[in-house]
Amino acid sequence: MKHIVKILTLLVTISALWIGLLQTAIIPRSHTWLLPIYFIVSLGCYGLLLVGVGLVQFPTCPQEAVLLQQDVIEAKEYLKQKGIDVGGCD
Amino acid sequence: MEWADKAVGFLLSYISLSIFTYYTFWVIILPFVNSDHFIHRYFLPQEYAILIPVFAGMVLLCFLSLFIGYVMLKSKKKKA
Repeated sequence: MKHIVKILTLLVTISALWIGLLQTAIIPRSHTWLLPIYFIVSLGCYGLLLVGVGLVQFPTCPQEAVLLQQDVIEAKEYLKQKGIDVGGCD
Repeated sequence: MEWADKAVGFLLSYISLSIFTYYTFWVIILPFVNSDHFIHRYFLPQEYAILIPVFAGMVLLCFLSLFIGYVMLKSKKKKA
């Protein structure tokens, strides 16, 4: 709930600034019209950057993976002793 | 597999940063440079600054709706 209020405030502020720029015409009109598209493009770039950084810094734990595989093998052997076929492919 | 993910992430960050830098130059800084400056040769005319993002957004939207429709059709077939 708080997040959407923040986003809405930001949007309203930006559109108010943009309308003000359009009305006062400090910058030529044709350049002011480009600003919303610029905003959308930079938002897309930000999203792409976040995805890229998340992929680069994705946490992995190889030691835990080895331990988990050992646990799986152990459990399979235990179940086989009890007469249950787990149907492991490896 | 880990290095491939890292490479893809690095590529994505690089693409987004370069698009952002190029577009900022194109839209924000270029109007304040004289129109006979040599730097204008490296940029398309200003109309394309609107046309290309709108076109790319339309293509993206089309692919997204195509994908969603395909997934919905597939799930309905599986249920029946």
